[in-house]
Amino acid sequence: MINPTVVDLSRLQFALTALYHFLFVPLTLGMTFILASMETVYVITGKQIYKDMTQFWGKLFGINFAIGVATGLTMEFEFGTNWSMYSHFVGDVFGTPLAIEGLMAFFMESTFVGLMFFGWDRLSRGAHLAVTFLVALGSNLSALWILIANGFMQDPVGASFDPKTMRMQFRSFGALVFSPDAQAKFVHTTLAGFVTGAMFVMGVSAYYLLRKQHREFAARSFRMAALFGIISSLAVVTLGDALGRLDFLVQPTKLAAMEGIWHTSKPPYAPWKIFAIPDDKTQKDLFNVSIPYVLTPLVAHDFTSPIPGVDALEHSARAKVIKGIKAVVALKAYGTTRNPAALAAFRANESDMGYGFLAQRYAPDQDLSKITVQNLPSIVQKAARDTIPNVFVEFWSFRLMVLLGFVFVVVFAFCAYYSLRNELEKHPLLLKAATWAIPLPVLACEFGWITAENGRQPWTVFGWLPTFQSASSHDVGYMVFSLVGFAFLYSLFIAAELYLMFKFARLGPVQHLTQTPHAPAFVQPALGQPGFTDKSWADNSWQ
Amino acid sequence: MTNIIRILALAAVLALALMLAVVAGDFGPWYFAWLVGTTMIVLISVAGAVLFETQHAAGDTPYEHSAPTET
Repeated sequence: MINPTVVDLSRLQFALTALYHFLFVPLTLGMTFILASMETVYVITGKQIYKDMTQFWGKLFGINFAIGVATGLTMEFEFGTNWSMYSHFVGDVFGTPLAIEGLMAFFMESTFVGLMFFGWDRLSRGAHLAVTFLVALGSNLSALWILIANGFMQDPVGASFDPKTMRMQFRSFGALVFSPDAQAKFVHTTLAGFVTGAMFVMGVSAYYLLRKQHREFAARSFRMAALFGIISSLAVVTLGDALGRLDFLVQPTKLAAMEGIWHTSKPPYAPWKIFAIPDDKTQKDLFNVSIPYVLTPLVAHDFTSPIPGVDALEHSARAKVIKGIKAVVALKAYGTTRNPAALAAFRANESDMGYGFLAQRYAPDQDLSKITVQNLPSIVQKAARDTIPNVFVEFWSFRLMVLLGFVFVVVFAFCAYYSLRNELEKHPLLLKAATWAIPLPVLACEFGWITAENGRQPWTVFGWLPTFQSASSHDVGYMVFSLVGFAFLYSLFIAAELYLMFKFARLGPVQHLTQTPHAPAFVQPALGQPGFTDKSWADNSWQ
Repeated sequence: MTNIIRILALAAVLALALMLAVVAGDFGPWYFAWLVGTTMIVLISVAGAVLFETQHAAGDTPYEHSAPTET
């Protein structure tokens, strides 16, 4: 068996790199469509200020994009270096969306990003707008393929286990792409990115308005971001509800942990906990405040479906563990003898094979064939208990994400309302709130990632492959060294991002315009070039 | 002739969009919702900017300077 410390370090390293990477991704996803919106107004109205907005916010997007790409590349390699057992087990399935992401979306995104930045005076307005939309589509398509891969880990559809090759074989591309989990997760995640992008543009614009700088530029940016954000934040909440219902149907252990449900109650009584201190050891709340009769309609969308608690889930897992043990023992026999009877025994219990793997670490010498009638109950109980993710972490990461989600709806609603009434500057507190809210969507995205991935535990592929069997067999020193290296390198990336973002945001659009190499050309004959036909550059009164 | 080609090209785009809508609607309702929803989010944001220009032209914004002239 793989050293448990190595497994923990591998998990820590992946969590660290993924959480770092996810500091950049949402802003990229959202900013691209905001830039496309701004440029659309430029193309429709011909007003130069919208081109300036696209270019200024595009510069901030560019900083984030470059560093975000750098942090994302290492993660795909980690599957091979740190999760080789996982890659062997599901490589056929998991590799497909990752390859498509690299070949199609990533190249598309990168190519058009170059055209977007350097094509202003080489493309017509319409062509440049199309390029900006393609950047937006490309970056979101990248997210799509990654989330399809992640959807398979949460709800493995479109593949089946082959006892001959001892790995999952790809059966249906359509089932994988149209998996309900992948669909809902894609929409939820990209919309969370839209919220992040909108909050960023709105917050920086609020900063300018508070300082009475670049008022016309900021007011227009604020208006567009606020409207972009209010619809996106409402949609994020809607998709959050859809994902919650999917978890109820597909990953009930995750849902039980998210809502801190220890015991199954008669529907529709199930209480919804506003606040609780869950204790995983005793499987009780040290304290809670809850409202009865809310959870059933909230999660199941009816009043009759029972919401299974941890007690019921553990109970049902025991039967699965027993079947799983039979499946793994039969699989081992089939692997050595190719005996059809062993294959038949495996097929009869195949769907619970993963639960047999879970029991393996508690079996004498990690050999399931050594399980006896005496030690079976204790092994089954321990393995069944392992099927429940850490409730405290899940409960609070979910609560904080949801709380922040509703905060965004309120902030965007007020901001959009006062922006539409052109009364923003009469409400400095609101502007300050918008500025201070800039990092909150990123934080909510991090909590969302923790909710999704902690809730998947103890599995890398839900119900099929336990996490502790998925890692590579490195030594501890190698893992510590690479972990420290990644932490140091990624912290440098974060520092660079923050420094550049603060620097260019503080400089504002005026400095952006005077510093840009194109600036002198605006009053020169280049005015006649495609994309530079707007003579209003001579009038910088809006600054 | 140019008009016929243009109409045919637009018809092809329309047919492609309809096919995409039908496939996405049947097999990927949330993907379809994303396509429609993202378009709507962009359009509402754009409409907000256009409304701002209308308000600005009518003198309903607190900004003294006139907006940059149109092309």
